[in-house]
Amino acid sequence: MYRLVDHTAELEVEIEAESAEGVLVEALRAFAELLGTGDGEAVERRLVVSAADLPALLGAWLEELVYLAETEAFVPDSADLSLSGLELSALLHGRLGEPRPLVKAVTLHRLRLHAENGVWRGRVVLDV
Amino acid sequence: MSEPRRIDDTTWEIPSSSRGDMRVPARIFADDEILGDIAGDHSLEQLQNVATLPGIVGAAIAMPDIHQGYGFPVGGVAATELPDGVVSPGGVGYDINCGVRLLALPLTEPELGARREALVHEISRTVPARAGRSGGRSLDGVSLDAVLGEGPRALPDAGGGDVERTESEGRLVGADASAVSERAKARGRDQLGTMGSGNHFVELQIVESVLDEQTATVFGLTESQLTVLIHSGSRGLGHQVCTDFVKLMDARLPSYRIHLPDRQLACAPASSPEGRQYLAAMAAAANFAWANRQAIADGVRRAVGKVLGSDAAAATRQVYDVAHNVAKVEVHDGVRVCVHRKGATRAFPADSDDIPLAYRDVGQPVFVPGSMGTASFVLAGEPGSLERAFGSTCHGAGRRLSRTAARKQVGGAELRRELESRGIVVRCPSPKGLAEEAPIAYKDVDRVVRVVEQAGLARRVARLRPIGVVKG
Repeated sequence: MYRLVDHTAELEVEIEAESAEGVLVEALRAFAELLGTGDGEAVERRLVVSAADLPALLGAWLEELVYLAETEAFVPDSADLSLSGLELSALLHGRLGEPRPLVKAVTLHRLRLHAENGVWRGRVVLDV
Repeated sequence: MSEPRRIDDTTWEIPSSSRGDMRVPARIFADDEILGDIAGDHSLEQLQNVATLPGIVGAAIAMPDIHQGYGFPVGGVAATELPDGVVSPGGVGYDINCGVRLLALPLTEPELGARREALVHEISRTVPARAGRSGGRSLDGVSLDAVLGEGPRALPDAGGGDVERTESEGRLVGADASAVSERAKARGRDQLGTMGSGNHFVELQIVESVLDEQTATVFGLTESQLTVLIHSGSRGLGHQVCTDFVKLMDARLPSYRIHLPDRQLACAPASSPEGRQYLAAMAAAANFAWANRQAIADGVRRAVGKVLGSDAAAATRQVYDVAHNVAKVEVHDGVRVCVHRKGATRAFPADSDDIPLAYRDVGQPVFVPGSMGTASFVLAGEPGSLERAFGSTCHGAGRRLSRTAARKQVGGAELRRELESRGIVVRCPSPKGLAEEAPIAYKDVDRVVRVVEQAGLARRVARLRPIGVVKG
C-alpha cells in the first residue's frame, strides 16, 4: 500500500508492506502511477541494484526506474524481485510509451526503509 | 525551533546559538507577511540545517521567495570558505543551472497585433517540452563533450552577441566532460533545445511598465515592447550529475567525519577528490544548460522569423541569461568562497568586472519570473547584494501550495479559460500540469521584489506582463 503525500514543491511517497520486497514493489506501483500508462510494445528489463543500506536501496531502485523511463520510455507494470542482503535482482515487466516526464530525481531527504512492529515502512521524496 | 528576530524592516536572523550544531546564523530577507508564509513549512528548519555545513561563512541566507525543499530550502544561499569548506550537490539542486533568459523583440504589442496567437503556437512547435518523436535538437556535427566543455560556443549558430550577454559568458571554468557519467550523458543526449516539464516555460511578455528609465534604456527595454522569457535548465543530464554525486558524497561522509542533520545535505571538502570532481561535472552540466537555453532561443528566433519575418528574427536581441541553481567560486571580502545558490540569482552591482561592459554602469540584469499568468520583473544588482548576501537576490515568486493543493483549488480547463479571458494565449498539453502551476500556488511576486529592493539587494527596472504561455 502506498500514498502520495502533499509537499510544497516535491512529492513524498509513503509505503507500507509485509516485507522489504513488498515496499519495493509498492514503490514501483507508485512510480508507475506517476508516469501514466504505457500503450506500446510489451517489454521486459532485468536489473541488479545494490546499496550501502536498505533506505539507499529503495532510492537506488527508483533511480533505475527514472533512468529507464527517461532513456527508453519504459513504463513499468510489475516486477519479480529477489532481495539478498543489500542486493536486489529484478525482472521488470512493462510497456514502452510516452511516460509523463514528472520525476527528475530521487532524493535522500527523509528516506526510510525499515521494519516497525512487524510492518515494513518506506518513505521517499521525489524531485518533481 | 527559535523564532527569527527582526534586524530591520526586511531582515531577520536566527542566531547560531539557537542550535548546538549551527556554525553561523540563519538570515532571512522577508516582510511580516512573507515570514508568516515561510513559518508554515519546514523552510527555516532546513535553513538552520544548512548553517551546520563545515566551512560555511557569514550566514545561511534565505531570500523572500524561499520555500521548503529537500535538504536545502529553495531560495537559499550558502558560501563555504575554500579550499577546505564543503561543496554540496544538494545545495545546487538536481536541475543544475536552471535559469532564465530574456530576449527583446524589435516590436511593440500593438505592432504584434493579431499575430500573437500564431507566434505562441509557432514557439510551441519549435520549442518542444521533451525529447522524442517531436523534439530534441540533434547534436549532428556537435559533440556532446564539446557542449559540456564550451557551452553555447560549441553550437554552430551561437552568434549575435548572445554569449557575451550570458552570466559567466555561458562557460564555467573547470568544466570537465570526463567527470560526467555515461548515464548522465545518455539522459541529456537528445534533450538539447527542450524546455522540460514542471515550472519550466517559454512566455511571451510585454514590458508593462518601466520603473528605472535609465537602466531600462541600457538593457534595451521600452514600454510596450515585446519580449520572450525562457525558463529551463540542464534537463536529465544535470539531474543525473546531482544524483551521482549526492550518492558518492553520502557514502564518503564517514571518511571526512562529517555529521549532518539531513542525508540530502551530503557534501565533501571542495579540495577533496570528490569535491573537485563534482565541481568539474557541475560546471559541465551548467554549460549544457546554457547551451540548452541557447538552442531554445534559436527555436524562438525561428518562430519569430516564420511569423513576423526574417528582419524581426535578426533583430531579436538577448538581454541577458542568469543561472539560479549553481555553485560558483567567487571572492567576497577578500575571501575565496564557494557560493551555493539554490533558487537564488547572482546580482552583482555596477562596476563589477564579472558583468558585460554594456551593463557595467548600471548593474547586472536579474530576471524574476512570477507565476504563470502573473507579472515578472527585470531587476538590476545593487551593492547591498555583495554586502549582505554574497552577491545574490531572489529567483521567482516561490511556491506556497503543493501541486495537489493547487489542483484542488483550480482545474486545468478552468484555469486555461481564465487565462485566455485575460488575453493570455496558452499552449500546454497537460491540463493537470497547467493546474499545478496555477498562480494561486505561488507567493505574490510584487511583494517578493519589493523586499529585495528594500533590502538593497537589487532594484526594480521593469515589470513584464504575459500575453502567451508555452509549457511542457
